[in-house]
Amino acid sequence: MDLGVTILVWMAAAAGTIVLGLAFRWVDRLVTARVQWRVGPPWYQPGADILKLMGKETLMPTTARGTGFLLAPLVAVAASTVAAAILWRAVLSPQSTFLGDLIVVIYLLTIPAIMTIAGASASGSPHASFGAAREIKLLLSYELPMVIAMMTAVARTGWSLRLGGILEAQAQAPVVLSVSGAIAMVVAILCMQAKLGLVPFDMAEAECEIMSGVYVEYSGPSLAMFLVSNAMLLALLPLLIIVVFWGGLNTGAWWGWLTFAGKYVLLVALATLIRNTNPRLRIDQAVRFFWFYLTPLAILAAALAIVGEARGISWL
Amino acid sequence: MSIAPSGTEVALTGPVGQVIASLGSAVVEVEFCDERRGMARIDPVRTVEVASTMLAMDGARLVTATGLEVRDGIDVLYHWAVEPAGIVVTLKALATRPGLELDSVANVVPAADWIEREMHDLLGANFPGHPDMRRLILDDSWPEGVYPLRKGFDQVTDRPALPPNRTPPDVLTPQEAPPGPGTAGQIKHPGKTMINIGPFHPLQEEAEFFQLYVDGETVVDVDVRISYNHRGIEKLDESKTFDQVPFVVERVCGICSASHPLAYVQAVEEIAHVEVPERALYLRTIVNELERLHSHLLWVGLAGHFLGYNTVFMWAWKYREPVMDVLEIATGSRVTYANCKIGGVRRDMTDEQLAQIDKAVTELQGPMEMITNVVLDDPVLHARLKKVGVLSAADAKAYGATGPTARGSDVPIDVRRDDPYAAYDRLDWKVITAPGGDVFGKAVVRLLENFEAVKIIKQCCAHLRGTKGEIDAKVEAIPPGEGVGHVEAPRGETFHYVRSDGSNRPVRHKIRAPSFVNVPTFKASCIGLQVPDVAITLASVDPCYSCTERLCSVVDAENPHRRLGFKELVKLSQEKTRKMRKEW
Repeated sequence: MDLGVTILVWMAAAAGTIVLGLAFRWVDRLVTARVQWRVGPPWYQPGADILKLMGKETLMPTTARGTGFLLAPLVAVAASTVAAAILWRAVLSPQSTFLGDLIVVIYLLTIPAIMTIAGASASGSPHASFGAAREIKLLLSYELPMVIAMMTAVARTGWSLRLGGILEAQAQAPVVLSVSGAIAMVVAILCMQAKLGLVPFDMAEAECEIMSGVYVEYSGPSLAMFLVSNAMLLALLPLLIIVVFWGGLNTGAWWGWLTFAGKYVLLVALATLIRNTNPRLRIDQAVRFFWFYLTPLAILAAALAIVGEARGISWL
Repeated sequence: MSIAPSGTEVALTGPVGQVIASLGSAVVEVEFCDERRGMARIDPVRTVEVASTMLAMDGARLVTATGLEVRDGIDVLYHWAVEPAGIVVTLKALATRPGLELDSVANVVPAADWIEREMHDLLGANFPGHPDMRRLILDDSWPEGVYPLRKGFDQVTDRPALPPNRTPPDVLTPQEAPPGPGTAGQIKHPGKTMINIGPFHPLQEEAEFFQLYVDGETVVDVDVRISYNHRGIEKLDESKTFDQVPFVVERVCGICSASHPLAYVQAVEEIAHVEVPERALYLRTIVNELERLHSHLLWVGLAGHFLGYNTVFMWAWKYREPVMDVLEIATGSRVTYANCKIGGVRRDMTDEQLAQIDKAVTELQGPMEMITNVVLDDPVLHARLKKVGVLSAADAKAYGATGPTARGSDVPIDVRRDDPYAAYDRLDWKVITAPGGDVFGKAVVRLLENFEAVKIIKQCCAHLRGTKGEIDAKVEAIPPGEGVGHVEAPRGETFHYVRSDGSNRPVRHKIRAPSFVNVPTFKASCIGLQVPDVAITLASVDPCYSCTERLCSVVDAENPHRRLGFKELVKLSQEKTRKMRKEW
């Protein structure tokens, strides 16, 4: 592929991810509304929210460090965009990915959270700094089990750190159809919930305690950028889980796209379901949950995967 | 109770007599004593001693105090309740001019903290030794020496000019507080990290200002400023006739709009010795229990929302809606029922209406069981609510906590049982308590009380259906005297004191809403907790600021460009009622 086409494909992947993320956001809001006996918004509501914010004034608190405050949401969107391009490329043409792109994606998907922390700290608001402190603790608690869960899949797919390689190794059976893979995927789904900042892990925003916490000082386009980044994460994290654990997209058969869409919707629906049937945890409870429950679980999955791989036991 | 002719000796009989007798020589004169009410004048220099003797008594709590302007100074009436005997003993101490001083009892009885500050603000009584005599009710810009509740103060002509708009002191760069009355009370610890809950905040639907001083996530101190929304109801009542007051006091609070009028009406009935017809008692019970049902469902929803559990929020409020509908069918309004009057009730309920009420509450039982099970079984809710915000039984007594706040701390007090009114003593129901004193206990009490409320309503409907009877005792004149009335509102005991001089309007009408004693319990339950726990603990008393703040000046906020006037709004709601009646 020449450079022009590559750039076009990457841009399409980024734009498509934004649209898909906003569509999922709508599904999430609609399902939530229906569960709660409300009508719910029309399909274009998440997009309309972004458009409206783009036309509003950006207010900056006098206490804020301007550069860091305004740069943070842009960097968050940029990181999500690059992650989108890499992930979609792996889905659509697994043979053309580069070595170690899994690690790059994990790094890139961490950046929005780090930028939220940076932006919140730069705003100078006590509520935002509270939110930032919680976001840091949350990040430290869920990243470890998340990475170990990913490593389980890496072990299962013949120690491949290339997303394309992971997908190719799953051509026969996806990782999730083994004991270790299933455990690892459950861990990854729960970590996804925290990464998306959804209940029960929304303590960094916690409307009723710290009034949106990390985002409290953001307004107008800068808030819109964070919303775009969050919407992209809503599309990207399930995609990552599908790629790493669930076989990705089977382009060879006519039903490939259908099952792919089914997996996608199922994961988003699961996130919606969890957030509608739980109250918010305290930050210390969340940290305890990830460190003392999910991390050992992920380590167990990884150990099983290594044993299974070494002994050639495919179901382990 | 009518004032006994002076000079006659009042015999100290029964449990009330025992309570007064136990105060010994501190009692100067016994004014009144019967089975459940007592009034005595105490030695004004021995208030602290009397207060500690009373608090040490089994089951005694300070309900509130009433400040009364008299010729020689300010009469301070300490109302003590003793449960489960259902006694209310009023101990009077006179603060004489010119100092208007009485020793503060707030150091021995924490429940007196806020009310002494209130009396200082509104009447100018002084309480030397008070631990925290900042302004509670009045705005910081209110001039010194102007006391709005005194008889000489006219709320229209004497109102000070509104202050210019002020920017609140910047919490991050604390400045020297500008000189002026009361400004010292604005921020307690300038310079420390403060998480503000308020003056406007998603946690509380009304205006209040909690200052949480934090060290990391841990709250090391809490201060509160209230009274952003005063309407001057007590002052207003003094200019209304006895029969107009119920319409005013049902606007004290949009949720306790059946309890406040009932408590007032009972106080007046006590003065006039009215025998209320039995049917009216049952009708009062129905409206009051429907109110408890919808209030508790409202709280469950809000508690869910505060914990980020919005599904519970929406579900609880959906199930609350049929209760509001039957209230509208039975009384004509969702909020202001205009139902209670001195001597009875205003409107009877037909058999058809009773059947509708019965049907609505019966259908509510299934969903309520579901919500209750969700709360009692959810492990995440257990993790968030158990052992959080613990209010010990001793603290509950010292702060005078009432209602679910006290019953959640295993303090079994309930006015409905202890000092029965309406038809509660004729019905089969039980007082719900929960051990632990944590937020979970308070939630359990409210959830289970809903089932008791349904039980009570069904019994009342069954009793009234197919029968007819008088609903009004037709009271003509209110003799001079003083009376207290208290009612178990959804949030706890609402207490009214009325004094009549024989004219057509009350000389003094004191209202003590349950949140006035329940909110200050945060001092005992919140320090040392984490911020998210403090948020839910503050919400667990189901605070109601419109109730807590009901004094001071009347502000007319009428919008000149309103699209719907009062008449149109009333018409709209009447049409809705008519439509609903057809549909049912």
